[in-house]
Amino acid sequence: MPRNWHTPLSLILSALVLPLCASAANSFENTAIVRTVELGGALVHVTTTYAVKALEDGSSVYTLALGEQEHAHTSWLEAKLKGQAEVLPLEDFGYHPDSGVFLYTVELPKALNTNGTANLVVETVQTHATFPWPQEAAQKDPQSLKYNAELFVISPYKTLVQRTKIRAPTTTVHSYTEPEDVAFTTDAVVTKAGATITYGPFHDIPASASQDFVDTKQKQVTVHYTYDHPVIEVKKLERAVEISHWGANLNVDNTMVFYNAGPRLKGHFSRLEYQTQNYFGRGAAHMLPGINLILPAGIHSAYYYDLVGNVSTSHLRTAPSVPKGPNSNAYSLLELRPRYPVMGGWNYSFTLGWDSPLQDYAGYDKSTGKHIVGVPLMTVIPTAVVDEAEITLILPEGATDIEYFTPYPALSERISNHITYLDTIGRPKITLKYKELTDKHTGNIYVTYKVPFRAHLQKPLAVAMAFLGVFAIALTWRRVDTRIRRK
Amino acid sequence: MPLAYSLPSNLSPATVANTSSLLRIIALSLISGAAIASRLFAVINFESIIHEFDPWFNYRATKVLAEKGFYEFWNWFDPTAWYPLGRVVGGTIYPGLMATSGVIYNVLHALHLPVDIRNICVLLAPGFSALTAWSTYMFTKEMKDESAGLLAAAFIGIAPGYISRSVAGSYDNEAIAIFLLMFTFYCWIKALKTGSAFFGTLTALFYFYMVAAWGGYAFITNMIPLHALTLILMGRFSSRLYVAYSSWYAIGTLSSMQVPFVGFQPVRTSEHMAALGVFGLLQIVAFAGMVRTHVSSKQFQSILYSSVIVIGLVGALAFGGLTYKGWIAPWTGRFYSLWDTGYAKKYIPIIASVSEHQPTAWPSFFMDLQFLIFIFPAGVVLCFRELRDEHVFVIIYALVASYFAGVMVRLMLTLTPVVCVAAAVAFSSLLDTYLDPVEPAVSEAVVPSTEADSAAAASPASGSSLGTDAAAPATGKKAKKAAATESSASGLASGLIAALSPSDKSSKPRGIFGLDTRSLVIFNAFGMLLFFVLHCTYVTSSAYSSPSVVLASTNPDGSQHIIDDFREAYYWLRQNTPEDAVVMSWWDYGYQIAGMADRPTLVDNNTWNNTHIATVGKAMSSTEEVAYPILRKHDVEYVLVIFGGLIGYSGDDINKFLWMVRIAQGVWPDEIQEPNYFTPKGEYRIDDAAPATMKESLMYKMSYYRFAELFGGQQAVDRVRGQQVPKTGPTLDHLDEAFTSENWIVRIYQVKKEDPLGRDLKSANAFEQGKKRKKTKPLARRKAVV
Repeated sequence: MPRNWHTPLSLILSALVLPLCASAANSFENTAIVRTVELGGALVHVTTTYAVKALEDGSSVYTLALGEQEHAHTSWLEAKLKGQAEVLPLEDFGYHPDSGVFLYTVELPKALNTNGTANLVVETVQTHATFPWPQEAAQKDPQSLKYNAELFVISPYKTLVQRTKIRAPTTTVHSYTEPEDVAFTTDAVVTKAGATITYGPFHDIPASASQDFVDTKQKQVTVHYTYDHPVIEVKKLERAVEISHWGANLNVDNTMVFYNAGPRLKGHFSRLEYQTQNYFGRGAAHMLPGINLILPAGIHSAYYYDLVGNVSTSHLRTAPSVPKGPNSNAYSLLELRPRYPVMGGWNYSFTLGWDSPLQDYAGYDKSTGKHIVGVPLMTVIPTAVVDEAEITLILPEGATDIEYFTPYPALSERISNHITYLDTIGRPKITLKYKELTDKHTGNIYVTYKVPFRAHLQKPLAVAMAFLGVFAIALTWRRVDTRIRRK
Repeated sequence: MPLAYSLPSNLSPATVANTSSLLRIIALSLISGAAIASRLFAVINFESIIHEFDPWFNYRATKVLAEKGFYEFWNWFDPTAWYPLGRVVGGTIYPGLMATSGVIYNVLHALHLPVDIRNICVLLAPGFSALTAWSTYMFTKEMKDESAGLLAAAFIGIAPGYISRSVAGSYDNEAIAIFLLMFTFYCWIKALKTGSAFFGTLTALFYFYMVAAWGGYAFITNMIPLHALTLILMGRFSSRLYVAYSSWYAIGTLSSMQVPFVGFQPVRTSEHMAALGVFGLLQIVAFAGMVRTHVSSKQFQSILYSSVIVIGLVGALAFGGLTYKGWIAPWTGRFYSLWDTGYAKKYIPIIASVSEHQPTAWPSFFMDLQFLIFIFPAGVVLCFRELRDEHVFVIIYALVASYFAGVMVRLMLTLTPVVCVAAAVAFSSLLDTYLDPVEPAVSEAVVPSTEADSAAAASPASGSSLGTDAAAPATGKKAKKAAATESSASGLASGLIAALSPSDKSSKPRGIFGLDTRSLVIFNAFGMLLFFVLHCTYVTSSAYSSPSVVLASTNPDGSQHIIDDFREAYYWLRQNTPEDAVVMSWWDYGYQIAGMADRPTLVDNNTWNNTHIATVGKAMSSTEEVAYPILRKHDVEYVLVIFGGLIGYSGDDINKFLWMVRIAQGVWPDEIQEPNYFTPKGEYRIDDAAPATMKESLMYKMSYYRFAELFGGQQAVDRVRGQQVPKTGPTLDHLDEAFTSENWIVRIYQVKKEDPLGRDLKSANAFEQGKKRKKTKPLARRKAVV
């Protein structure tokens, strides 16, 4: 499910655009489409380049179409012009029942005149698009995955030429589909060179974003390939960010449930074999012995534990914090090693947290009197997909005028009350829920809020009052005669 | 009067009183801080983790209490323990510990201090040790004075004998029980001294708390009656004793019966009969006292004789009769094992198999108490000097606890408080004597011989302080009644002195002269204290602060390396096996598996069902073919063994194996025989010379399965037993190796299901490995008869 669009003013526009594309909007023509699929484990990166030619003057809104299957796997979508860093605004129109595809529109920075061209690069990340095959592997066996895709790139426009390249991570490709009865081509449908399998070229494809095309012309292709790294799935991520002005501290706490989505371990785990493999330096491909996480610079008091206590096998290398502003690439590195090597089909859960200086993340706007805090949406776990994520931001007690800006719209969001150490009324807590986050989902959540001076004093006052009360009671108790009989 | 050193004279008594009270408060808080801090080695060296075995169960129960509330906890039936029997947890535990943590947890959460329940459990014992120090202070204050109290508090705060059971993470009943023990005793002494029903009730309430917290409450149940009885026999019956005892017994017994695990035991078991008997005796004595005021003494004599005989007979008959009828349970095996240390080994191997139930070795007295153990007798002797009622208590306590500490290692714990109290009394007497600036009155300048001087300096505190005090006329305010015993005590003391210093025959004025003598002794005394602190710190950090769940070793570069195999394997079980997978292991690991792996177990550390444990023992010590039906019948999915042969972890299952055999033999003497597991020479071996029974046993096979292969063709060595493991290791047909931890300490096997084709697993296995089945001999062709 892609969510990389920025302007949520869809309703009015959708009324305008949808009839347009239903009638196969003829404002554009694709002179060429090249789709490159980088096969991976949990994540598959797909880059599609559309060479676009305008057929009308002032064409500025280009419509993308994703097939149902593709859409189900796609979790991140971004469109750019070739060679430019700027991300183009994208809008989701959802499912279009007449044509059976999902539609998105991209707004080109400059409207094209007739015969004007542009190269549009659309990057997507697919999750859960691969599956292990065979489904079980013994400890010594290699790991192979299968990837399914649709042969043709669907577009509401006419396409002159189209290719799909599927690039496997290694040259070991066990098999790939050689589709028969393919339209639009006379040559060999598929060629393989090294690790790359190329489908096409296909010529003169009519507007394909229609149910009819999908039913009659579309083909499925499958690639079966070797993958030498573990397929990591994070089933659940709970991230809590707690801002404390008194401690000038930002605490980040991540609870993760890891799952090795590679082939299930056939038979049992043998330590002897594992140690032999390690000794000869050829660990099993589907085994996850550990993972390196890049954490921000300047963190301290990091902790790493699971349900039974500290995991003594991990190491943290911290870097000092860098001054705000310049883009520094200093980072802390955590070498996470689970208690046991996580074999295919095994789970492992743990909690990882750290403290970092608040000034690395927070700023104060004197003109509005608001604090601004920007924290990363999540700690990126390379090559892993996060199935479910719940991200909470806990603001200081008494914070008011809370506003927050997320890089990707959340599935659900709410503000509740959270009571923790020595709070009297509790702190506002923002809870955001996401699904299928990938290593492309970087970006900061920004929160702005006001904290009145009185709220800062609340905690010390409450504690002081409590102690005063205790002393006062003790004082009176000592001075009042509680005996029943006077001596 | 001449003074050895000058004291400021311009201080008002109020200033002195206030200052000393402030100093006492500061000293007590520092002692509390030291007591807590010295117990934190485990947290600092390792982490905030629950230790050992039993604490894991307590922790698990506390979590239930904290999460689900008290009623849910009270009615908790745990179907995962003692599979398939289950365990009624609420009715089979002392809930005091969990309730305490639960209350602390709820109070803190109500104050918006959301402390994790694990941290409360880990830090409960150090917290209560501070309270123990305080209650020991109060108790000792009643014995002598505040300064002795402070010393006693400092001693108990850091004495290793108590630390051994109360380091952070050692979340066991003893953690709060010693505080309750000392506070109950303090209340009892206070009640006895004042004759106050209020303190008697307080004693009863803390007694109730103690009953709810620890099975060792029986110690109080017998100590107080013993004290009361001794007082009666010494002719010290008084209305104060009557009030204190009666209010304690009546309220204490009734309230103790509210604990479900105790139930009707206070009126039905022999261990509690002493308290009841003394209660009755007190009534009789009191009644006799009343009768005496109403009748003439001659009549009273005859009434007394006849009634004593009649009551004695009736009482004894009733007790015997009730025991015979089964109304009063006879002494339990655990009780017998206190009198005969060999008893448990013969009749209850489960009790004997626990290391903390072994008799105490002599060095451990020194290790746990250091110099306290040798000034402890001096303190007890000093108690004879005054011999007020409370001193009698300390004397009895010292005698009883010394005996028990000698019988069982874990009862060292009950000895430690009285050692601290007595030692503090002795030490404080020594300091009192030598810090007192008053010089003895001398008519002429007598210089004590250097010999006597050095004797005073070098001899233990007892001798010198006793001698000087006994001679000093200042201690004259004694009760008339106690005078007789007093003189005998001082006679004893002077005898001691005479033995120690032969030059004291003359009537020269005795005492301490000059600053040098004083400072010499004081310097030595403080040296002892200093070494005590060093010793306690050393012993605590090195011997008593290991969680035993986590083992520590050192890397080549000197940094700490943590061997974390237990948690690795338990966590693997927790994450990667079905939630209802039954795990079989020896009972030691039952609580840990339940706590860390959260899986059902067959047996655990609550060893209530000997047969069930023997079943596990039998499965472990039989051949695969015999064990397999047992495993299948108990739905066992995984079998877990501890094997230390690779890294030399000596507490492993092969070393415990003989206990499994013994316990199994107790139930199935025909099938399991201990001698079969020894070589003909009587050695316990695991190498080539091991007997067949040993090699065929499931435990042996599971421990050494594929172990030799690890050495890649070289000679495999078991580092615990220092023996060479056979090159061709055992094979398993009915079990599959499922998981082995990093250092091979924990090995988990999965029990195979029955073969779907109905073959026995051995032949199915052989078929799979491609071995041909041995053909049965073809029928011999009949030869033609020529």
